[in-house]
Amino acid sequence: MFSTVKNLFAYRELVLVLAWKNIAVRYKQAYMGLAWAVMKPLMLMLIFTLVKSFVGIDSGDIPYPLLVFAALMPWIFFQESASEGVNSVVAHTALIKKIYFPREIFPLVSMTTKLLELGIGFCILAAMMAFYGYIPTTTAIWVPLIILYTMLVALTISLFGSAVNVYFRDMSQALPVALSLLMYASPVIYPLALVKKTLLEQQAAGDWSNTLYTIYTLNPLAGIIDSFQGCLFRNEAPDMSVILPGMIATLILLPLSYLYFKRAEAYFADVI
Amino acid sequence: MSSIEVKHLTKEYQLGALTNIKDNALNLLKRLQGKPVVERKHFRALDDINFTIEKGEIVGLIGTNGAGKSTLLKHLAKITTPTSGKVIVNGSVAPLIEVGAGFVPDLTGRENIYLNCSILGLSRKETDAKIDEIIEFAELEEFIDTPVKRYSSGMSVRLGFSVATSIDADILIVDEVLAVGDLAFQRKCFERIENLIKGDNKTVLLVSHNIRQIERLCSRAILLDHGKVLSDAPPSDVSELYYKRSNKQIQKRQKQLAAQNITTKGTGEMKLLDIEILNKHGNPVDEVNCEDSLTIRVKFELESDFEAPELVIGTHRTDFVYLSSSSTALIEDRPSFKKGINTADYCLSYFPMVPGVYCVRVAFFDKNGRQIFHGETLKTFTLTGEKKAAGMRTMELPTTWCIDGIKHRV
Repeated sequence: MFSTVKNLFAYRELVLVLAWKNIAVRYKQAYMGLAWAVMKPLMLMLIFTLVKSFVGIDSGDIPYPLLVFAALMPWIFFQESASEGVNSVVAHTALIKKIYFPREIFPLVSMTTKLLELGIGFCILAAMMAFYGYIPTTTAIWVPLIILYTMLVALTISLFGSAVNVYFRDMSQALPVALSLLMYASPVIYPLALVKKTLLEQQAAGDWSNTLYTIYTLNPLAGIIDSFQGCLFRNEAPDMSVILPGMIATLILLPLSYLYFKRAEAYFADVI
Repeated sequence: MSSIEVKHLTKEYQLGALTNIKDNALNLLKRLQGKPVVERKHFRALDDINFTIEKGEIVGLIGTNGAGKSTLLKHLAKITTPTSGKVIVNGSVAPLIEVGAGFVPDLTGRENIYLNCSILGLSRKETDAKIDEIIEFAELEEFIDTPVKRYSSGMSVRLGFSVATSIDADILIVDEVLAVGDLAFQRKCFERIENLIKGDNKTVLLVSHNIRQIERLCSRAILLDHGKVLSDAPPSDVSELYYKRSNKQIQKRQKQLAAQNITTKGTGEMKLLDIEILNKHGNPVDEVNCEDSLTIRVKFELESDFEAPELVIGTHRTDFVYLSSSSTALIEDRPSFKKGINTADYCLSYFPMVPGVYCVRVAFFDKNGRQIFHGETLKTFTLTGEKKAAGMRTMELPTTWCIDGIKHRV
């Protein structure tokens, strides 16, 4: 594992250049440029806020728009890193057939590109926090670690997915569907506190409640979104009981995903 | 230590497309039951290849299309993995496999240079140091900040070449991409390639159909055919073998082509029975040496007597360039032909063309000039010769030189 990271470090410049290329190409002939990067979370935030006014979601004492935006930031970063990562290998057919470098660079590049858009999201978040009068405290130092963890989760999906996609293009069709379903199984529209209340306190599903809650937290995004909101707005360190199930799943699956990718990699140029 | 070691390299590809769900499910079922499964056909692109290239050697790689040259290069550049066998490469490899792979149309020329250089493994600093030279060589100073999508094809190819050849590496792989752009630029390209190759003790693998270039630049050549090493020897030996083989192939293809091009038309009053090519001993043959005499014998059947008609026998190339022809009308006392089977011989003391495949045409007119029969590519024959077929000539004429009063026959 260590040698893998070291090897990739040697290619850091290539990753950066390719990420820069992605961004440059995407916004080259667009007048609004990078502003498009924040349109998606902003629009979704507005829609969810509108929906919330009909349905009534209890967001506690944190303003709902702020809560939703803070959920959308890691969610969209994860979702787009994964879905673009899955397509990234096939999208670079010309390069793969002509020149060798470690192929895992492609999913990494997709993620690096999204990292920049996430950075712009942080500017908007800072403005919103200032507007609602929230000042981040020392718990904000958890944010980089949470983002790093999100990257590992996204890589788990995109490494496996992009390798499968070379052989079966079904993957690039199936993944967006799966991810949009996953959004409802993650505390994006509603806060995790609501899930906790329903399942743990009210035992709404009877005997199954605790099991269901564990299954829910197996989704790494549950822990990611909750702790992201927690360390920014509630001055809490991440709640390990929420994070742990997802993290264990990720730590088991990531090496498997990487191994599969490396095994499949040898035949990319023949099959793609 | 050798630069490149290839040991028992074999590469197989599966033919055909990915199977559908139904086939896969059926195959799975069969496998579970232990029955044999219908496998997709395999194609052996490389078949037990062995060679070693020492550091500093310049090796030419030749072979017809589909011989496995590109597949071999892909293995050396680590793009693909062998089915069996081993490829050991010591040192960094700069692949020139294709010029301009990975140009992004939306980026400017300058941006593409940085992108391409970093894909080829150059750091930003190294690129900074080289960029002026790259632009200058590509002759694109004026357009370097314009998006590549607005370039003419010649411009982007020039840029691609310029970037690809600015890479430093221990092992250069030069594929047949050298001749790009107009004549002046091509010359520049060749010079640059030759400078690269002759530069400080690099190992070079040069792939080309240009045998002359390989003979001039390389110390050794490898001839591939259907995935096998046919010959690994000094370039002059290998190129001779290559010429012989490719000539044969060209002739075979031309004969096939000619067979599709047989055209006849006529009134039916004359029926062509047979055409034979006779060598100097009078034996029917398919091949004639270009220095020997040959006879084209045409046998035909007439429905009635023809008084003083005109029989034309001629030769042409497979691409219908007419070469020779003669008519019985030129004979002072025009011969007549009787009803029934007739034979006419068209005799040439030698056929003064370069070795290759040639065709026979026949025409027949009555004395008033009415066309009775006309046919082209009715028969093909191969002209052989000791001298090499290539060269800027179509005719093979006996030549004598006289230099400073001394005669030389060639």
